[in-house]
Amino acid sequence: MRPPLTGSGGYGGRGGGGFSGGRGGGGFSGGRGSSGGRGRGRGGDRGGGRVGRGGPRGRGRGPPGGGRGGMKGGSKVIVEPHRHGGVFIAKGKEDALVTKNLVPGEAVYNEKRISVQNEDGTKVEYRVWNPFRSKLAAAILGGVDNIWIKPGAKVLYLGAASGTTVSHVSDLVGPEGCVYAVEFSHRSGRDLVNMAKKRTNVIPIIEDARHPAKYRMLVGMVDVIFSDVAQPDQARILALNASYFLKTGGHFVISIKANCIDSTVAAEVVFQSEVKKLQLEQFRPAEQVTLEPFERDHACVVGGYRMPKKQKAATAA
Amino acid sequence: MILLFETPAGFALFKVLDEGKLANVEDLGKEFSSPDSARKMVKLKAFDRFDNTSEALEAVAKLLEGTPSKGLRKFLKANCEGEALAVADSKLGNVIKEKLKIDCIHNNAVMELLRGVRSQFTELISGLGDQDLTPMSLGLSHSLARYKLKFSSDKVDTMIIQAIGLLDDLDKELNTYAMRVREWYGWHFPELAKIISDNILYAKSVKLMGDRINAAKLDFSEILGEEVEAGLKEAAVISMGTEVNELDLLHIRELCDQVLSLAEYRAQLYDYLKSRMNTIAPNLTALVGELVGARLISHGGSLLNLAKQPGSTIQILGAEKALFRALKTKHATPKYGLIYHASVVGQAAPKHKGKISRSLAAKAALAIRYDALGDDQDNTMGLENRTKLEVRLRNLEGKDLGRLSASAKGKAKIEVYDKDKKPGSGGLITPAKTYNTAADSLLGQTSAKSESEEPSKKKDKKKKKKVEEEESEKEEPSKKKKKKKKKKVEEEESEKEEQSKKKKKTKKTEAVEVAKEEKKNKKKRKHEEEEETETPAKKKDKKKKIKN
Repeated sequence: MRPPLTGSGGYGGRGGGGFSGGRGGGGFSGGRGSSGGRGRGRGGDRGGGRVGRGGPRGRGRGPPGGGRGGMKGGSKVIVEPHRHGGVFIAKGKEDALVTKNLVPGEAVYNEKRISVQNEDGTKVEYRVWNPFRSKLAAAILGGVDNIWIKPGAKVLYLGAASGTTVSHVSDLVGPEGCVYAVEFSHRSGRDLVNMAKKRTNVIPIIEDARHPAKYRMLVGMVDVIFSDVAQPDQARILALNASYFLKTGGHFVISIKANCIDSTVAAEVVFQSEVKKLQLEQFRPAEQVTLEPFERDHACVVGGYRMPKKQKAATAA
Repeated sequence: MILLFETPAGFALFKVLDEGKLANVEDLGKEFSSPDSARKMVKLKAFDRFDNTSEALEAVAKLLEGTPSKGLRKFLKANCEGEALAVADSKLGNVIKEKLKIDCIHNNAVMELLRGVRSQFTELISGLGDQDLTPMSLGLSHSLARYKLKFSSDKVDTMIIQAIGLLDDLDKELNTYAMRVREWYGWHFPELAKIISDNILYAKSVKLMGDRINAAKLDFSEILGEEVEAGLKEAAVISMGTEVNELDLLHIRELCDQVLSLAEYRAQLYDYLKSRMNTIAPNLTALVGELVGARLISHGGSLLNLAKQPGSTIQILGAEKALFRALKTKHATPKYGLIYHASVVGQAAPKHKGKISRSLAAKAALAIRYDALGDDQDNTMGLENRTKLEVRLRNLEGKDLGRLSASAKGKAKIEVYDKDKKPGSGGLITPAKTYNTAADSLLGQTSAKSESEEPSKKKDKKKKKKVEEEESEKEEPSKKKKKKKKKKVEEEESEKEEQSKKKKKTKKTEAVEVAKEEKKNKKKRKHEEEEETETPAKKKDKKKKIKN
């Protein structure tokens, strides 16, 4: 096995672009062709706003990525850091998003694990993060600019379900960080608590996210709220939780399923109205990506909360 | 003012130093931007640390119910003499006020204050670092989650949900097995499948008989009726089936045993479900039966969840796919879901099924709420409502009969012309009929009208205007269909004519014709307007349909 090529991380500021380009050569089955195309297209769009980034760079990185892909053989896998901290890309026969396993030797939901030997002989285990099962992974592959969830961050995760994505978020924030996972359903809550037993940075909370007062004594101030509750009033739920726990200048990531809010109108209209609702609640949505081709009629909106006015120019640039 | 702040390690009381700043809620956050400024705003007065996890769990579990635990009460009594207490939960505040006679405050400023304290509280509480707090909150959250899962409120409903799920699975399995027996034994004795149609009797006879040669010697009187037995014996002699050996028969017999034991177990399970349903939801059971009742509960998740649903939702529970398809394509929404299998709906003629299912759903919603939240546990309410529904069903059918005999049968129905309806296309392809709101308004119509109707008589025109004025005065939402509107025009017209008593029939028909003509014209002209107003109108229409 080869050591992870950490050197390319600095230059790969647009790792996502290169990633999706590489994926065209043999990535996830199912809509991979279109996703590769989309990735580049979106990069190009953003490139309009930000000169010199996005499209051109992504395409420029294409050939080396392809070359490296060609060098693969059998089970050899190279793990590179993604531009989001804590996220990695495993480049082998198939490229995959991975996170460094906090509890080596254990899979949470029977996902694949990749073991890589370091230069000094120590082994590091990574877990494959399936974008079809996780909206956060889908958002990352969709090219979201910043997920704000990074090593050491404190995250409030609303709608944790069985804890599949939560386990990856827990990998991502590492032992220094903390994930407060809120789930209302007792059935999935059972699995969540079981998962949290092995990961000490996950704090499971079996409560309704509509009533943050019920877990006010458990949760401290957090840096990021990730919300995946799929409820008609999810903007309100997010706002309520933010008012309790999200620090001033903190960030939110919300995944919106259009069908859960209004199935009679077009998805785009729903997204717009949700963004409007967020804006009224002291949120400042900065970015919206669709989760195609992994999810239908889903969008992921990222932004800040109670952002100080002076830094507006700084964040926009 | 004193602020109560709950942490996983214990309760903290903060003295608010600068109460003047509370007035400005928006800027309160700035006061907590740094530890130093926060210390100027609040000061720790007392901190009550939990001794162990069990104490913490007890205190927090009490807190979630909105009541202060014993420790908290003592702590507050000792530290809050004569001062107002700011709390995060108004319910908790009320209880404290009642029990301890301490004035409690809960408002936006308090929430903002708590937010600020939360952001700085490791700085504000000395000796409580982040590294101490995380294990505490981890331990507390785990024990709290376990506590929650252990004392789940909808435990009994889960039993019903699982039982009905198993019952459905058993039915499916039983059917496949029985069909397999028929198929397999059919090679040996194909005629038997026609003679015995019941699956269980079939399996029993096969098990008893084995090879069909034995049929003549055996006595089937315990299983079958006399005629069937005679038929079986006769057919066994002349059967055209192939011969099978003992080993094959052994396996067929074993399969029959499986079928029979499954059938027996299914009967047991059904009895269990019956008794459970009768204790948990007696009124719902009386109204819709055990099976439908149990399916409703399993679909809603629990009885309590179901009690929160309106009747209209209960009516279409189980028909979500059809509902959302209809909503998306703006067609008629389904009339019934699971409730279709209730016996009251089954009794009704196809024409009345929709109506009856609506009434039944309304009553079922009441029964569910009564079962879930009421005190007494008998099914009188359900039975009463069921008789009411049956009476209503009789009424509906009676009306129908009356109408049949009284109406003019022979006359051909004249269908209303609908320009959207394509000839030859099925009913599904036409768009939903909408209430044309544009037709209500008078603005801008008169001038346009004058162009096309100048050739027509002036008298007519005047009359038309009157009619329209009356129409607009009576802007009732119920006039959603054009047919109805036309009727109304007719009625009004006739009334007027009765008053005037001058011209009679000829005039009346003329007026109606004119009204029709005018409507057509209006439709053409107002086409653009119509498109604009279509969406709200359709929504209105849709709402109405859901209510139906």
